[in-house]
Parts: sequence; C-alpha cells; structure tokens
Amino acid sequence: MIPRRTRRSAVAVVCSALLIAACGSDTDTAGSGDIAGSDTAPDAENTADTGEEAPSSSDQIDVWIAFTDARLDWTEQIADDFNEQSDGPDVVVQGYEDYESLFDATLLAFDQGNPPAVVQYFEAATTEARDAVGANGNPLFTSIESAIDGRDEINGVPVVLDDIVTAAANYYTIDGTFTSMPWNTSSSTMFLNRSLLDAAGVESTPETWDDLRSMCEAYMASDAATDSCITWPNHSWFLEQSVAQQGALLADNDNGRSGRASEVMLDSDAMVDYVSFWKGMQDDGLYTYTGIQRDWGGTYDLFAAQEVPFLVYSSSDTTLLTDEGVNGGFEVESSLMPRNGDAISGGGNIIGGATLWLVDGLSEGDQDTALAFMNFLNNPENAADWHRTTGYIPITNASIDLLESQGWFDENPNSAVANAQLAAAEESPATSGALLGNFVAIRDVLTEGVEDILVNNLDPRERLGDAQVDAQRLLDEYNELFG
Amino acid sequence: MNVPLAVISVTLVAAVAAALLSHAAATFGRSRLLGAFAGALLGLAGPLTVMVPLGFCTFDDETTTLDRWFGLALIAGAGFVAILLGRTALDPDAAQRRQQRGDDVAHGVFRGSRLAPWLLLAPTLAVLVVFLYWPALRTLRLSTQLARLGAPRRADRCVSNFTELVGPGMPWLVVVAISTATTVWTATWFARRRLAGQPIGPARQRVETAIRFGSTIGVGAVLLAIAGLWTADYRAVFVVTMIISIGTVAGGLVIALGIACLAYQPIRGAGLYRTLLVWPYAISPPIAGLLFFVMFDANSGIIEHWVDSIFGLALPDYRTNARLAQLVVVLASIWKTLGYNLLFYIAGLQTVPKDQMEAAMLDGAGSLQRFRYVVLPALSPITFFLVITNLTYAFFETYGTIDYLTAGGPAGQTSVAMFEVIQTAIPGRDLGRGAAQSLILFGGVVALTIWQFRSTGRRVSYGN
Repeated sequence: MIPRRTRRSAVAVVCSALLIAACGSDTDTAGSGDIAGSDTAPDAENTADTGEEAPSSSDQIDVWIAFTDARLDWTEQIADDFNEQSDGPDVVVQGYEDYESLFDATLLAFDQGNPPAVVQYFEAATTEARDAVGANGNPLFTSIESAIDGRDEINGVPVVLDDIVTAAANYYTIDGTFTSMPWNTSSSTMFLNRSLLDAAGVESTPETWDDLRSMCEAYMASDAATDSCITWPNHSWFLEQSVAQQGALLADNDNGRSGRASEVMLDSDAMVDYVSFWKGMQDDGLYTYTGIQRDWGGTYDLFAAQEVPFLVYSSSDTTLLTDEGVNGGFEVESSLMPRNGDAISGGGNIIGGATLWLVDGLSEGDQDTALAFMNFLNNPENAADWHRTTGYIPITNASIDLLESQGWFDENPNSAVANAQLAAAEESPATSGALLGNFVAIRDVLTEGVEDILVNNLDPRERLGDAQVDAQRLLDEYNELFG
Repeated sequence: MNVPLAVISVTLVAAVAAALLSHAAATFGRSRLLGAFAGALLGLAGPLTVMVPLGFCTFDDETTTLDRWFGLALIAGAGFVAILLGRTALDPDAAQRRQQRGDDVAHGVFRGSRLAPWLLLAPTLAVLVVFLYWPALRTLRLSTQLARLGAPRRADRCVSNFTELVGPGMPWLVVVAISTATTVWTATWFARRRLAGQPIGPARQRVETAIRFGSTIGVGAVLLAIAGLWTADYRAVFVVTMIISIGTVAGGLVIALGIACLAYQPIRGAGLYRTLLVWPYAISPPIAGLLFFVMFDANSGIIEHWVDSIFGLALPDYRTNARLAQLVVVLASIWKTLGYNLLFYIAGLQTVPKDQMEAAMLDGAGSLQRFRYVVLPALSPITFFLVITNLTYAFFETYGTIDYLTAGGPAGQTSVAMFEVIQTAIPGRDLGRGAAQSLILFGGVVALTIWQFRSTGRRVSYGN
C-alpha cells in the first residue's frame, strides 16, 4: 500500500506537470524567447485594457477567426512566427465557434471602441460585411486594396494580393477594389470510393449528371451495392455551384456585381433542372438525404463508413477524406463536381470559404501590422502549408508553384482537383459568384425548399417558386435598410 | 391617416366602458355617475396605452385591411381589460373573495418609514427591471420594426410582423370552431347555474362530468379556431407545437405516474433506485437530444441494432419521416422531464392519506378503483403543478433537444414555435419577426395558464 503522503505528493507532481505542459506549449511555440515577457499571449482581459488605454498605438492587435480546432492552432503558430520577425505590435489570434458569433462579437467590440484589427468572415456574407456599420453609423470594415495603397511590401512583408488565384480574386473584387484578404478557400468537388466501385465492376469517373446516374444505376444493380450510391449536404452552396456551372445567374445586375442586386432568381431553369436531377436521384434510390439541412457531418460519415461510393463535398476536407480511405483501407479519389451535360458553355465552379476583413479606423501602425500579418499568412510557404494541412486551395500562384516544385500534386493528385476545377471556369459574372444582401437567410430559404421537395415529394418548380417569393422579400427588406 | 375611424373606435370603447361600469356601479350600490366617469376614463386609457406607442399607425392610409382589423382588435382588447379592471376595482367584495379563493395573501403592514419596504425591494426590482421588464419592452418595440441582428438601421413596420402571420386560408374552420366553442360554453354556463341548487348525488355527478367534457371540447374548438387563423406556414408551426407539447405533457405525466407507482413499492434499495431515476433531470436538453440522435440513428444507432437483431426489421429513418421525428422528439422530452415528474409524484404518493386507502380497501375497492378514486384525486394538486411546469418546458425548453435531434426537420415538421422564434431571429437575423413570434408564444402561454388556473385549479383538491 502506498503511504498517503507519497500519494498526495504524486498528485501534486502530476498536477504541476500538467500545468507546466499547458503553459509550456505557449512558450515553446513562441520561439527563441529572447524577450521573456512579450512572447507570452496576454489573456482577454489584458487585451481589453491595453486597447482602451492606448487607442493610437497598441502593444498587440487582435485577429478573430471562426475556427476552434487544429486550424486555430495552425493560425496561432503562424502568428507566433510573425511576431518573432516583426517589430510592431504582437498579433494575438482568438478563435470563435462560428461566423455569426464572431461577427456579433466584432460589432459589439466596435461599438465599445475596442475592436479587433482583423476579422474572418464567410463569402456569402460579403455584402453584409461591406454594408456593416457600427452604432455610430461608421463602416465596420475598409477595403484591403485601398489600405495597402499600391505598396509592394509592408513592414518588410511582401504583398501577395496581386498573386491571388483568379477565382478568389474575382469573387472578392467588388466595384473595382479588392475588399478583403482571401484565406480559407475551397470549391465543391466529388469524392469516389474507388475500391467500392471496383468491387462492383463500375469503371471510369462521371463528368455529367447522366454519367453519374448511369454509373450509380450500374453500381446499385451490382452485387457490391450498398444502401445507396451518392450523398451530399443539402447546403445552398451546392445549388449555387450548380447554377454557376450552367452559366446562370443567381441575382440581377450581373450577380450583384455591376450594381446592387435587386432581384434574386431561385426559380431559374438552371436551379429547377438541378433540383429535379437531385430529386430524381433520390426517387430512384440513388441519393441518400440525411434528413438534416447543412448536414456536413452525416454525409461525411456515410462516405467514410463506405455506405456510399460517391460524395459531393467541399474540397476543404480533401486531406481528411483521403486519410479516411488510407485508415479505412479503401481508395479515395477526388474528381470534378458533376455538371449538367445539356448546359451550354459559359459556366464553371465558384469558390466558397472566407476572407480576412480589415477593421476600419485603426491607427496607421496597427493597420500596417494587420496588413503585414495578412500577407505573411498567405506568403508562399504558409499558403502551401495551409493547403497541405487542410485541403483548402493554395491561394496564390506562387504557392501553387512551390507545391508543384516539391512534387506535392504528383504524390497527392486529389489535392490538385479544386484548383484545376476553379481554373477551368470561364471568367464571367456567373462564375464570380453572387453578391446580394440577406444572402445567408436566402440560403436558408433555399435549403428549406429543397428539403420540402425531397421529403414531401413536391414539384421542384412550384416549390422553388414559393422559395423565390420568400427570398425576394428578404432581399427587398435588406435593400430597404441598406440600399 | 383615417382619423375619423380612430376617433370613433376609441370613443366607442370609452362609451361602452362608461355604460358597463355605471351599470356595475349601480349593482354594487355605488354612484352611477362615479361608475360612468371611471368607465370613460379607463375606456380611453386602455386603447390609448396600446395605440399611442404605435402612433395610431394601423389607421395610416397605406395599411392593409388586415392591419386595420388588427388595430381595432387591439383597441377592443385593451378596452376589455380596462373594463375588467374597473369592475374589480368597483366591486367591494372582490378583495374578500380573492382572499377566500387563496389567490391573495393577507398583507402585512410596515410601520415607520415608508421608504423601508421599497429599499428592501430595491435589489429584486432592479434585477426584474434590468433583466425582465426592460427586455420585454424592447421586444415589444422590436416586434413593430424591420430590424436585423447586427444592423443598427431600423424601419417601422407597424403591426405587419404580426398580421403577415395571419391569413384567411381556412375561414370555415374559424367560423365552425368559434360557433362550437360559443355553444358549448353557453351550455356549460347554464348547466353550472342549474348545478348550484342541486343536491349531491348521481344526477349532479353526471352533470359535472358533462360540464367537464364540455369545457374540454370548448378549449379544443378554440385551439382549432386559432389554428385556422394563421397562414399555412405558421399554422404548421402551431400544429407542430400543439402535437409536441401535448404529447410531451400527457405522455410524460402518464409514464411518470406509472413509474412512480412502481418505484413507490417498498422494496430493498428503493432509495438508491429512486435517486437513479431522477438522473435524466440533471442532463441538459441538448444532451438529451444528442443521446437520442445517436440511439435512434437509422444507420448505426443502438435501437436500429436491436430492431434489426430481434425482429430482423430495418428501422425507418426518423429524420425523413415527419410523424416519427415528432415521436422521437416527444420521447426525448419525456425522458428528459421524467426525473423531475417522478420526484414530485413519488413525494405526492407519500402524502396520499393512509386512512382513506384503508377505508377504500375495507369497502371492497379493488386496486384500480383505489387508484382512480383515492390516489388520483389526492395527487391532483401535484398533477396541476406538473402540467403547468411541463407545458412551460415543452414550450420553451425543447429547443436544445430539437436542435440536436432533428434541427426542426424534416421540412419543418418538428419546428415548434420556440424553435421557429430562434431560427428567425438568430440564424435568420430577423429580429423584428422573431420578436413578434415570441410575443405570440408569450400570449399563448399566458392564455393556457389562465385557462389552467380557471378550469383545473377549481377541481384541485388540496385535502381540506
């Protein structure tokens, strides 16, 4: 039997070891540690204090992002690297649960006069971000291009804004100015379980809806058939992708790019065709609807559990999905998102993801540090590493070159698909992506409608017509407030 | 602005109030003039309290007919409340009756400084004002605006946030249901008057049973009438809320009482066993949702595994089947509240008078009869209390469970009113409509509680 005192001290040792491990990770990642005090990340309360006392020049600037997982760790690591080489204020990264709470927190902090310097926000809310004002009526964000003001480097960090891949640059260039710094960017791609398909004796890779359907029918007729053939989340993004693929618009005024969008088009032929294809696949037992809107987890699990050989998903999870195959003993292949074979040319896929927005009204020093950090984050090495770690596309051409020179795409052909798909898109308002007010709510109207069609067996054109009425009302109301 | 209509409607309410209260004053033995004066004053004050903050916007030229009617209904409603208040104030016996009914506790009196009671109340009042009254007022204001979360710009919407939920889809349903309710309630009212003089006996019991049935049918008819008032979209929300709430409360109480009777049996380790039964109460609603989500998963859930290995059947996917989804939500909510209900029922069973049970046994009552005629009436105060708390739970707290279990789906078939409020206001960022819907929900709960206190409360036996 262990004496009580020994036990107690053992507990104390374990506790202190845990504490040291927890604190130690901060100092480890902080690097050389030549200045002991400045490298440790101050807690949130300190942040508030310093911000209020010194609005002109700060010891640190805040970067708020909507990640709480490994991607937050990755970003914190980059911030540490940045702080090490930078003389200006330290960059402190803080993670939020989702974009909505992040945005609300930003607004609150802005109204209290102590906003973060950089805020991550997602693509569908671009119009909202551009229109966002604080309680005093001042705009919340400022254009990153005008803040960079033609400089080639800021605080010694080379500017990479001109090198951003075309699809992302087109999406975020509005009224001739680059609004925000693209970061996590993806496209919708398809994933195939090649092992399952081989077992069923089904060959080739589907490019069009018809290809996919015939492959699925062959698969379901085979002995290796599982419960169904394909799934994807009922997320508005896939509908938007399909509309863009067919070269159609989602809103008037060139998708809201030649002027503020005043009409949304949820019941266009392109949309109806896609939803009809979707419903047809479900009616024939080829598509599984998980029964929940925006169900990223459930669809992912079906593919990972080898219940379906096909999955249409975000390329952001390419690395994860490929690893599922490696760990689960099946071969995962990525391919282009199937398109409408009947659609005339002029379309292509669009991006999704989020950008970093620069908060308006920072002191010059803070703003430059924020700009330097954003460019540092997307320098070729970091952008390539971000791509390798997550599967989001390498966001600059230089990072693509770097990855190519390292032989990355030869070893990981799945990772090349998203960039290739985006690069293949014709440049047009359709493939730039739609900009419209209240887009997030309009997206929900659309997925609600699709769910209704899938679950209650409704006519796609009729139900999308109803969704159109609701969506148009949302857009009108938004334009009444901000137009 | 339709000024004549506004003036006429308010004046009409004031005139009616004056007439009714002067009549009431006469019956209570007070001066008619005083009654008429108070009535006119109250009849003006009521509608004005409602319409002045709105700026009489329902009488604007560009408003719809529905908005006008809504405004008139508001004026009439405010007038009605004002008349009720005035009547109670004039009635010399009202206070005494309230005390007799036990609604009103006799007051103590503070001697000395008048400030002292207010000082003592100040902390509570401050909390109430900051966290309850002020937000409630803001909600009222927001419900008349086009307001987006995170956008300081606002536009006035008058009452259209409310009226756009009202649609003339099923006028026949409203008419039929209202006439049924009126007939039934008139009949029960007459029956009750007759009952007063009748001696206790089987005849009286039959009438009492009939009255009970009648008022239940009346309430059902009113609910139907309300269902008929909404647009198709909001009617779906209303119906789903009713199904899930009634399912949760009725199912929950029956199951809890059944288990409580079993757990009440004197067996070894009963204390531990009963404590374990309370367990689900300690779990938060979202976790309950998550547990049932995992258990009832049609592909990998344990229920699917059991159904498959015992019956060789495939479990249908509740996430794409409306009725099953509602059933699973109800089950999860029942399970979640089970511990709470059990706690009260087990405590309640211990208070059932032993002498009555023995007397019933000696009279030859079987165990079912004892349960029906002794245990159930003895438990009625607890049942009453539990119905209220469970209804509140079903209305306000099932959000977490539903969000994790079905996310309101399939196609909105588990989207209860509370879920709809949050969906509208937070992800939809539409604060104005969210506020309007939350006020409707609030009104519903107030109405249900009043009805509960008036009907069930009367039958509750407190054992004296």
